[in-house]
Parts: sequence; C-alpha cells; structure tokens
Amino acid sequence: MRNLIAFFKRFQIFLVFVLLQIVALSAYVQYSDFARLQVFSSASRINGGLFEVRNSFTKHFNLEGTNRKLEWENARLREKLKISNYKIDRELIQIEDTNYRQQYLYMAAAVINNTYDKRNNYMTIDIGKNHGIRKGWGVISSKGVVGIVHLVGESYSVVKTILSKNINVDVSMRDGGAFGLLKWDGINPKICQISGISNDISIKKFTKVITRGGSGIYPKGIPVGVITKRKSIEGKPLWDLQVRIAEDFRTIQHVYVIKNVMLDELKELEGRIPPDKEEEDF
Amino acid sequence: MNIFVLNSARFVLFVLFQVLILNNLEPGLGLYAMIYPLFIFMLPFQMGTVPLMLTSFAFGLVIDSFSNTFGLHASSAVVMAFFRPIIFKWLSPRDGYDSVESVNVYSMGGRWFLYSYGTLLLIHHTWFFSIESFKLNEFIWILLKIGLSVPSSFLLSLLVQFIFISNKKAIR
Repeated sequence: MRNLIAFFKRFQIFLVFVLLQIVALSAYVQYSDFARLQVFSSASRINGGLFEVRNSFTKHFNLEGTNRKLEWENARLREKLKISNYKIDRELIQIEDTNYRQQYLYMAAAVINNTYDKRNNYMTIDIGKNHGIRKGWGVISSKGVVGIVHLVGESYSVVKTILSKNINVDVSMRDGGAFGLLKWDGINPKICQISGISNDISIKKFTKVITRGGSGIYPKGIPVGVITKRKSIEGKPLWDLQVRIAEDFRTIQHVYVIKNVMLDELKELEGRIPPDKEEEDF
Repeated sequence: MNIFVLNSARFVLFVLFQVLILNNLEPGLGLYAMIYPLFIFMLPFQMGTVPLMLTSFAFGLVIDSFSNTFGLHASSAVVMAFFRPIIFKWLSPRDGYDSVESVNVYSMGGRWFLYSYGTLLLIHHTWFFSIESFKLNEFIWILLKIGLSVPSSFLLSLLVQFIFISNKKAIR
C-alpha cells in the first residue's frame, strides 16, 4: 500500500495529465453521445447570448449583400404566387387540393456565429428547443444546402455545416441521376467532394448537383453545387468529383431549418428492412 | 495588483479576444491564429504543474464552449501546461528564476522568449491540428496549417505584450 501511494506521488503530474487528456479527448471524439456536453457549446444560453450581441453589431456589415439575396428570393417566390399567374381554368373546375399534402415545413433563422476554415465547421443559429427544433433536421439557405442540426439548446442551436468530416449528405446529379455522398476534405471552403459514383457512369463538367432526398432530411432537388473537376481514383472504379458548392459560407446570414412531417414514417418503414444475414454466415 | 485578480482579468480578456475576434479571422489556407496559449505561458512561475494543468483545462474548456470544438482546445491547453515546466527548466538562466516575478518578453529577454514560447507554441499547435484532423493522409495539409499558424500566433503574442505591458513596470 505504501508503495502504491509512493508510486502515485511520484507520477502525480503525469497521472493528472493523462486523466485530463482522457476527459478532453473522449469528449472530442464522441461528443454527439454526451448530452451533458451541450453546456459546453455555443448552443448554451450564455455563449449564444454573447454571440447574439456580437451579431447585432456585425450583421450590418453585409446588409447590402443580404438584402440583395433576399430580394432575389422574394422575386422568385412572387413569381410562384397565384396572382402572378394567368388563370386558365376560369372557375370551370374547382380544384380542392387533396392530391398534395405538406411534407416539408420551413423555419427562418439568423446565423449568429459561423466558421468555415476549421476541419469541422459549425454555425450557431438563433432558434432552439423553444421553437421546436430537433436534432438531425436539415438546414438550407436561399442558395443551397447548408448542413444538419447537431445540438439543440433552449433558444439556440448548433448546425454542423457541410464543411465537416463525415457529413455524408445524400446527393445526386440533376441530369442522369447518379447518386453519391457529399464529403469535405478540409482544404477549400468552396469545394466539396462526392464519393461513391462508379466511373463507368459518364458525368460531364458543370453538371448541376442536387440533394437526393433519400434520407428524408432535405427535400429532393435542393441545389448543392456544380461539378468542376473529375478524375478517376487510381486503383478503384470510382470517380473523384470536385463540386463547387452553391452557398458561400463566408457571407451566410439567414438560413431555413427544414422539418419533415413524414420523417418518422420513413424511418419506421426503413427500419423494417431485415438486416443482411448472408454476411453473418460467411 | 493582486496576482489572482490580474490573472482572472487576463482569463476573461484572452477568452474574449480569442473568441470574438480571432475565431472569426479566417484568411484561408488553414491559418488559425491563437492568442490564448499566451495566457497559460504568462501564469506565475511559482505555480505547480498540477494546478497549472487544471487551470489550463478549465481555460481550454471555456474556449471550446465558444468555438464548438468539444474538448479539443482543452486537450491542447493541458499539453502545453504539461510541457511548460519542462521547457522552463531546460532554458533556465544561470541564477534560476528566483528574481523574476512575471513571465514576459521584457523580464526574460527576447531570445529566451523566442525559444521557450516558440517551442511551446509548436507543441501546442502540432497537437491541436493533429487531433483535429486525425488522419494520416492529410499529413501535408496539417504541416501547412502548423507552419502558417505558429508564426502568426507568435507574432500576435509578441504584439500583445508590446502593446499591453509597460516596459518600466516589468523590469521593476
């Protein structure tokens, strides 16, 4: 026993070092499982509050650009209004819309903190649990895909943007329909990569990339970006595709959080697929 | 001034400077200037390694909470605190540190500051960027990040000391 105490005394510094490293690194590596760790993110009230104060100053710097973006979007939405369409059927047939049901709901939010230069990039938005936000919902902007809600606080939440490791957004080509997963290699905040597309599928430069809507997070057809470069990976029958993403994360200020009303149904249905038994046999 | 009050004030100011200003400067190429290692560096000489590491851990956790890194900064700060006494011992002047009250460029001289702070910053940044990526095939990219960030953090720390610490007071 005395030897043990002597041992601890002797290596006290190193033991404290190891202990603190274990606490810090386990938090970093498996942060999503730590519910307590929400306290230590910008979704918490104090930190979110501080960022909101800062945002109230800095949001004016990009006001012109933001206004132009919103004007452009307003104009596009106005085109879709009933009053700007010429009515063809002239009350002959009354259409009661039972064919279409609302699937996706959108909630506007302001970005109050944002990075684009780290290996994993997050943004803090000013809505949270009080507004009904839940983890795993998609986030888009007027230009394209932004990310996925990662942590939810009382009135703020943290969004993991597509500029992150292992974000794996389901995307497909608008022409041709080949689909893969969106990834980011951490180098250029304007360029993402798509993996998992077989290189016998012909893909042209400047093909538009859209969301596939497979996982029910985003609706199908939200713009992601444009293919700028393609080459085949050596030794694998796959394309290495570079995508110039539509959203500019350096100036982003307003986003929409998407709620999929039918997400539970989709998940329940997909959960019923039996797991592969053949693999276990081998 | 009471040393505890001084360091608490520094704690808050360094956090605000790092979080509100430096975290938003993103000039590209992975350059990430960090000022907060200077806080750990400037903590009093007399502090034992264990209190030093605990302080650094708390400090790093506060930085983490603002930059959504979930413990990465805390881990790097503890590494730096662990190596600080070792580097200081290695570079100690002939008559020891007994006559010195505070750690900064003026009291210890430029060459000593370059060696000790430069080494600690290199250790800190290497740890930070390696753990952040944690992939061997991004090795060159990590090296580029370290190579760009270490000089900029160092110059920034030098600048902060030149501006905020008065020369006369430090020598006395």
